[in-house]
Amino acid sequence: MTDVGNAKTAGAASAVAGGAVVPPLVVEHVSKGYEVNGEIVPVIGDLSLTLREGEIVSIVGPSGCGKTTLLNTLCGLLSPDSGRIRWHGREVTGQPQNVGYMLQKDLLLPWRTALDNAMLGLEIRGVAAAAEAEDRSRAMLDQLGLHGFADHYPSTLSGGMRQRVALARTLVHEPDVLLLDEPFAALDFQSKLLIENDTASLVRQGRRSLLLITHDIEEAVSLADRVIVLSKRPTRIKAVYDIALGAERTDMIGLRQSPEFSHYVRRIWADLDVVLQ
Amino acid sequence: MTAEVDAGMARSTGASTPIPDTAARRRRWKRLRATALVLATQVAILIAFLVFWGHMTSRNSAAAFMFGSPSAIGGFLLQMARDGSLWRDLYVTGSETLLGFFVGNLVGTVIGLSLWYSRFVSRVVEPFVIAIGSIPIIALAPIIIIWFGTGLISKVAMSTLSVVIVALVTSYKGALGVDPDQINLMRTLGASKFQVFRKLVVPASLTDIFAGLKLTVGFALIGAIVGEFMSSSEGLGHAIFKAGSLYIIPKVFAALVATIALALILTFIVGKIERLLMPWRRL
Repeated sequence: MTDVGNAKTAGAASAVAGGAVVPPLVVEHVSKGYEVNGEIVPVIGDLSLTLREGEIVSIVGPSGCGKTTLLNTLCGLLSPDSGRIRWHGREVTGQPQNVGYMLQKDLLLPWRTALDNAMLGLEIRGVAAAAEAEDRSRAMLDQLGLHGFADHYPSTLSGGMRQRVALARTLVHEPDVLLLDEPFAALDFQSKLLIENDTASLVRQGRRSLLLITHDIEEAVSLADRVIVLSKRPTRIKAVYDIALGAERTDMIGLRQSPEFSHYVRRIWADLDVVLQ
Repeated sequence: MTAEVDAGMARSTGASTPIPDTAARRRRWKRLRATALVLATQVAILIAFLVFWGHMTSRNSAAAFMFGSPSAIGGFLLQMARDGSLWRDLYVTGSETLLGFFVGNLVGTVIGLSLWYSRFVSRVVEPFVIAIGSIPIIALAPIIIIWFGTGLISKVAMSTLSVVIVALVTSYKGALGVDPDQINLMRTLGASKFQVFRKLVVPASLTDIFAGLKLTVGFALIGAIVGEFMSSSEGLGHAIFKAGSLYIIPKVFAALVATIALALILTFIVGKIERLLMPWRRL
């Protein structure tokens, strides 16, 4: 792991058309398979997508369609068998910089307090002085409604609060792009709505981009500007929906009751082609 | 009412949630009572056992000779305490045990954790570790005495050998048991391999390391005592061996009681250190 976060310009890929806005993430014809008992099992077939600046894109797909493989490939934990992934126009070896990554498991370190967990990324990168890192992390925890819980150990926090700490850890070093893999799937409905709301508004405020992988169609529609529906394995893009519900979605409950919302949900549900038994 | 309030609610109150005083006190009292009950039962079992033992040996001199009696054992303990041999033996065996415990755990844990670094090295080393681990340490005692003499060093060596493989295996298992998702997270945060090791693998292995420490207190003591059995002029093992060869069985038991006490004290200290080093587990 020598080239961690070390963006390397890869030849022609850097030749970006002058003046045009470069999307933070472009995926071109990526495929990825696993070897099982000497046979290659394709997981991702041929996948291309673009995440524009300030955009929220949800990816939904049937269970086991390789969503997590896709995410791990995007953030450099796996390398694609073919195709290209460009971050801000450049191909990257190792982990891309300024990308926040969050999973369904909060992955908080039990021996660190909420504050120390939130500070983990800043500490590892050594980007900020300890005092500044602490101030920034404290402010982020406050912003996420965790005021007064900074010195609590994760074991004393509820699931929703733990996930908020994880979100603080993801957001505190101000990543341009967030990659979230079913981050709220384990939460109860109320916590989920609240944290979804906070996440979306923080992303929009900061003009960040968000790629949200989820199996929850309603979550996908309620948060995203665009929903990408994946097929079964080997995964391809089956359909893309531009969600025209407006960018300012403050009333999450009201939104979920609107006819347009149900319309999108029904069509995506049909696309997923779930066989009921 | 517990501290488990969702953040959404916490935001409206704006502060950490105080636990009602009376409820906390009632819970503490309940816990205390449960502990007291456990303790009382343990003491009752011990007393019943001693009374039974005393009764069976009081009217039968052959049984008293073969098995000793609680009162005779108590008498020997008092006598050993008065003439100072008890304290001397405790000191000697205690320091051998502690030295072996420290050296064995230090070496074992450092090697065990470092094996996390390289899958290649750990695979190369594995059969050797298993082979060395399967040697009964007692079988090594005669050689150890030849190499290190009959003094302190040979007992420490015995004690260290009894500990080191267990410490190595438990810490290595702890390091391997780290959640791969957690390692991935560290990597996406830009951590180097050393940072993953220091900030994640080492603290995450602490639970297993301490489980190993508790286990190896006993092993270290066994090593020291076996070393004393082979050849020594002082220590609890020496006292047991000597009293045994003179058929003074109550004295054997007296030294055994002192050995048990030593083991309990050392285990207690390790437990205290564990709680001190892992405050998050107290919650």
